[in-house]
Amino acid sequence: MTLANESANSAGDSALEPDETPSVDNLLELRNIHAAYDGIDVLYGVDLAVPRGSVVALLGPNGAGKTTTLRVASGLHAPSSGDVIVAGRRVNGAHPEQLARTGFCLVPEGRGIFPNLTVRENLRMMTYSGRSQQHVEEVTFEQFPRLRERRAQLAGTLSGGEQQMLAMARGLATEPALLLLDELSMGLAPIIVEELYEIVAQIARDGVSILVVEQFARTVLGAADYAAIMVHGRIARVGRPDELEAELSTAYLGLERTLE
Amino acid sequence: MIESQDRVEQFKAEIAEMKLRDPATSRDRIWLGVGVALMVLGAVLAAIAYPMSHGTTNPLAQSDAITLALAGIASAVVGAALFLRYSFASFLRFWLARVIYEQKAQTDRLLESSSPTSTEG
Repeated sequence: MTLANESANSAGDSALEPDETPSVDNLLELRNIHAAYDGIDVLYGVDLAVPRGSVVALLGPNGAGKTTTLRVASGLHAPSSGDVIVAGRRVNGAHPEQLARTGFCLVPEGRGIFPNLTVRENLRMMTYSGRSQQHVEEVTFEQFPRLRERRAQLAGTLSGGEQQMLAMARGLATEPALLLLDELSMGLAPIIVEELYEIVAQIARDGVSILVVEQFARTVLGAADYAAIMVHGRIARVGRPDELEAELSTAYLGLERTLE
Repeated sequence: MIESQDRVEQFKAEIAEMKLRDPATSRDRIWLGVGVALMVLGAVLAAIAYPMSHGTTNPLAQSDAITLALAGIASAVVGAALFLRYSFASFLRFWLARVIYEQKAQTDRLLESSSPTSTEG
């Protein structure tokens, strides 16, 4: 039996599998998403849902299509077919800035901060959303006290963990309803990653729905309510983190064929 | 942070109100193409008009060439405007927002420094 078949047969996975009709309880739903770069297909019918107020981890090996899935969800990459449904409405064709204004926030892989600007200047850039500089700083420094100490420092001179905190702070400054995090742990020491995921869990407790993409899975599973494993552009398995933990190495090492 | 329940409701309302264009009709791309075509047409008309006016001593033929050249200029200007509108606008919007913000901050600083309370001490 393949992992995909197991997924389809599992009774406990329904929270991540979208129903036929769009649900407003799911803040984000991807339905049968196909996507390609220059005619080369990378996603083959991805179905995924992010229930309101939950943390969903999208895991998988390098090249599985996780980042493309986030890019499609956030409007940065148009799907070849399939539906992107946000808060019950099909939003295919929406510009990323339109989605960002409503409260849809992507923290990209590689952090996406301005290295030649100070922490305060990076935060000031987020005042486009109509929030005052003072408000943005209050929200940021409450969540990330370490950035207060670094506020006059150039962002490019911060440590990797602090840069990631700044990237997250820039996202949170807009008070998002839905937060997409891409490879939060990239290039960071495990202890810093654990610290960041504690903050992610705190953000989720504040009511923000989160879809987090990760290659290194163990830490994120501790903070997630649901998880999905993606392999070769398909969702191979969905379920609760404790159900999936044992299957991760199988999926990552491509051993699913031996299970058939 | 504002109450999360309210935030989600606000998010849903804003998503519901969002004006979406049908992705199948990529009007922006069409207008971008029209802009480029008009710019090229303008240059071609000017290139035709120049030898046309120099190749004759007939003032009527030269007037025609001038008219053609002016039409070329108009075509190039309109094409450039369309091209700028549908290509650079999205990039410049971000920087415009920053300039507006900084001008506002500068105005606030000037007002603050000129207010009576700031001269105390």
